[in-house]
Formats: sequence, C-alpha cells, structure tokens
Amino acid sequence: MIDLDALAVRIGGRNLLSNVTARIQSGELVALIGPNGVGKTTLLRAIAGLHPCEAGVVRVMGRDLRSLRARERATRVAFVTTEETVFETLPLRELVAMARFARAKWWGWTRERSDEDAIDRAIAAVGMQSLADRDVGGLSAGERQRAWIALGLAQETPILLLDEPTTHLDVRVAQDILKLLARLARDGKTILCALHDLNEAAAYADRIALLGDKRLLAIAPPQRLLRGPLVERVYGIALDRIELPDGTLRLFTPPRRHRGCAVEERAH
Amino acid sequence: MTRGVALSLLALSVPAAAIASLFVGATPLDAHQVLRALARPEAPDTVTTIVWQLRLPRISVAATVGACLALGGAMLQGMLRNPLVDPYLTGVSAAAAAAVAVATVAGVSVAATPAVGFVAGLAAALVVAALARRGGGIDPQRLILAGVSLSMLFAAIVTLVLIRAQSTGAAGTIVAWLAGSMAGRSWRDLAVTAPYAVLGTALALSTAPALDAMRIGESRARAVGVNVHRAQWLILAASSLLAASSVVLAGLVGFIGLLVPHIARRLTGTEARMLFPACAAIGAVLCMVADAVCRRIVAPAELPIGVLLALIGAPAFLYLYLHPSGRPGLAAER
Repeated sequence: MIDLDALAVRIGGRNLLSNVTARIQSGELVALIGPNGVGKTTLLRAIAGLHPCEAGVVRVMGRDLRSLRARERATRVAFVTTEETVFETLPLRELVAMARFARAKWWGWTRERSDEDAIDRAIAAVGMQSLADRDVGGLSAGERQRAWIALGLAQETPILLLDEPTTHLDVRVAQDILKLLARLARDGKTILCALHDLNEAAAYADRIALLGDKRLLAIAPPQRLLRGPLVERVYGIALDRIELPDGTLRLFTPPRRHRGCAVEERAH
Repeated sequence: MTRGVALSLLALSVPAAAIASLFVGATPLDAHQVLRALARPEAPDTVTTIVWQLRLPRISVAATVGACLALGGAMLQGMLRNPLVDPYLTGVSAAAAAAVAVATVAGVSVAATPAVGFVAGLAAALVVAALARRGGGIDPQRLILAGVSLSMLFAAIVTLVLIRAQSTGAAGTIVAWLAGSMAGRSWRDLAVTAPYAVLGTALALSTAPALDAMRIGESRARAVGVNVHRAQWLILAASSLLAASSVVLAGLVGFIGLLVPHIARRLTGTEARMLFPACAAIGAVLCMVADAVCRRIVAPAELPIGVLLALIGAPAFLYLYLHPSGRPGLAAER
C-alpha cells in the first residue's frame, strides 16, 4: 500500500510536484498518465526514495519512507526505470541478481537458494530464460527493457513502481508484460506504472492517476476518468472513444481531419 | 579457465613467489640453508639472520605494498568508472612526497619521515574528499579534478625542495624515496603500518557488494538498496588508507595500482568480490618479483622498484589496452 499525503518535490529550485495526495491499495494496478514533463517519473522516484520530498509524507506499507534505511526500503519498494545508463557489460542473470542486494547478509558475498529461485522466477516471468547467460550489452533495446523489469521483479517487494515499462516493446511483449503486472496485482502487489498509451492504461489498470500542471488532477477507474473531458484538456487534443463489449474503452485521436488536410495540400 | 581456478592459482602464486624471492640477494643461498633457517628462527648464524631479518621482512613489505596498491586502484577505478585512475589519485602520494621532501631538508630524522608522509598523505586525501563532496556523496569529476590539481601543487613543492636540496646533499635521499624501494625494511616497519593496511583492506572488502551493485548505475543501485553515498565514502577512505600504508612502507611505487586491476579483470571479470582478492594476489606477486629483480639485475647495487615497474608497466599497460580480451572491461558502454 502506498499513501501520499500532500507530497511536494522540489529539485534545483524548481517545483516539480506539489500537493499530491492519494492512496493506492494492495492488489491494485494504477496507471500513471500525463503529458511529457508533467512529473510522472519524479513522482515514481519520490515514492522509491530516490528524490527527497520537499514537503508531505510518503508511506509505504504503513511506514514513513524517511524512517526506512536503504536496504529496508528496497525490500518494500522496487523501482523499474528503463532509462539507459552507462554500465559494464555483465550477464543478464548477474544483472538480475543485483536485485537481491538488500536481502543479502551483511557481508553479502554469497547468494542463498531463495535468492537463486527469485532470480530464476523473475527471468522466467519476462520470458528470457534462454538469454540468461547473455551479456546485457549485447541485447536489443526491448530485451534490455525486459531485463530491467526482471531486476524489479526479483526484488520481490510488495510495491512495484514502473516508469514506462512498455516503451521499447513490441505489441505482443508489451501485452505480456501488462498481463503479468495485472496478475501480480491480483496476487496482492501494489503497482504504480507510468504509461503513455492510454489504451494500455484503459485495458489493464484498476485505476488511472492523471498528472497535469505538476499536480495530481484525478485518480479514478478508467471508465470514469477517460470518459470525461479532463484527459482531452490535459493533453490538449480531441479524442474519439469506442466502448468494447466487455466495457473497456478504446481511445483514438481523430485522424481524418489531419489526413484530409495532408491529402488536400498534396493535391494542390 | 574458470574464475574459481584462476583465483586458486593466484592464491598459490603468492607463497610461491615469496619462497622464490628468498633465494634472491647478495648472498647466494641453497634450498637446504633456507629451509634450515626457516625452521630455526632463533639460531645465531648468518644465514638465519639473512632469511629472517633481511629477506623475509622485505618480501612481506613488497607483498603488502603490492596488495595495498592493487586493491586501492581496483576500488577507485570501479567507483569512478575510470580505467586510468590509480590509488595515488586522491593526492596521498604527492602530499606524502612533498612532506617527506620538506622533512628531509628540515633535518627530521630518517626514522620519522615515513610517519610524516603518512599523515600528510591522509590529510591531502581529506582535502580532496572535501573538495569532491556534493550532495552528501562524492562527485567523480570533482574528485579527479581535485586530486590531479592538488597532486600538481605538491609536485611543484617537491621540485622546489629538490632544487634547494642540491647544495645540502639531501636531494639524493629524497630522490631515492621518490623512486620507491623496499631496501632495509624491517619487521618493525611492517608492524607499524599493518593496522592501517588491514583496516583499509577490511573496508575495501566490506564495500565489494555495493560496488558490484553500482555497476548497474547509481539510480538502480539505490533502488535495490545500496547506500551509494556511504559506499563512496568508505571506498575513498579505504583506498586512501591503502595508498598511505604503501607510501610509508616503500615510498612511491608506481604502476601497480593502475596496471594490476586491468590484469585481474582479464582473469576474473569485473565483479568486485572476485576482482579484489585477485588484485591483492597479483599485486603482491608482481611487487615481490619486481623487488627480487631489482635486487639482482644490477647487483651489488639496487635498481629502484619504481623505475623497474615503470619500464615494464608502461608497455604492458599499452599492450593490455591495444589487445582487449573477450572479457568485459571496465565501464564498457552499452
């Protein structure tokens, strides 16, 4: 469970988030949406304890984040970022093994059987068993992205935060990952996942949190939030909606007018 | 060759190099004499004195210096993601050299100069650390800039003192110290320095898991539970202690801290848990062998070990860089 109480984040003299209040229950998958630069990553990093909070409180599983040591925090919250960083090449399995750092004994020089099992489960969950011994540096962008997700899964934390986990993935793998997240949420994890694709959010999230203007504007079930005009206002575009037989919404940006213009321009 | 086999062979090579070094020196000794002397350390004969009071302490000092420098280099190269760094980066050696030079000219006794160097070296490391501090942690760029700048300042002081010392005859003592040597080191020298070397090694080993996790980037390392700032300070403290210990024991011994981590990475990969023991073993062996060669090559005189290591180290370093192995190197960018 994640509790945010009037959370504000300020970095380098700039307010990046202010007055964010929300509660995300265990067993819930919440999609975090909003335009670029609105503070989605900042919010995830603040909950992961990687950004200090200027004001307000973040509680993870009932504990104030500030009262947790780095290792304690990492057994409660996992943060999956797909940002590309410079790192030494190392085999996928060794990379995923880093997730067990917080659970290692103080000398931390050996891995327990339970660590090996968690690493195997995480690699299997993202379908990368056959690549486990490959150097991460030699993987494709999509494979590397799945490796980062496996790193987060192997922490086996009750809370999982993901920053755009489907960005580099093909449609099938993206669906697999989102189905996996939905299943993990059903099994009791608390999942907050920044997404750009509104349809992915509509199809898989229990609730959607909409960020805009450095604030949390709304947090509601997809049917309610995506039906209203707020999304269009925040993104500054018009949206067409179709409701599927199972009640899921599909959203489209109206293409005809733009294409028509392009065709007309070319015809002239 | 698996990493386990490589580490086992390296572990065996340390006593092997130590035993081989016992036979090198001005007085030729055969195996029987050496074994008998080793078995009876209190015997009043010359051979026992040579083995127990001259060669063994010297070999132990060489092994300690090599292990300290290699370990310090591996830690700093790993933390800063920079393959050109050595443990002298933090200004320890340059400050120690300047302090020893000034102390020698000022007439401080030869026995006291190592202590002067040790204190000055650690003081310089503290100043560099303070300059490199940012947001509770260490900024790698600032650390390198501060270390290089301060080292240049101290190098200028050494040059100044050397010019002034030419007339007094102290220049020879200073140059000998700058070139590095294990000649005449005793058990007492080792006993005085050992606590700092042991503390530095313990700190180094305690940071190995964190340093390994930091290979996936600072953000992700923090996310998996690494206290990155604390690890950075511990690494800096450990490498400074290790460098200062070696400077006190043998003056300036170059190239070990730069070269050995590169050799070790070829054998064991970049994982600190494997790399650190490998570095300590290779550093110790290399230093013992180099010291033995220095004793022998221009006998009865001695070649300064710093000179020999630079002569061998520079081409070896170039070779390693121009012939990359299949194993992952340091900071290989995806």
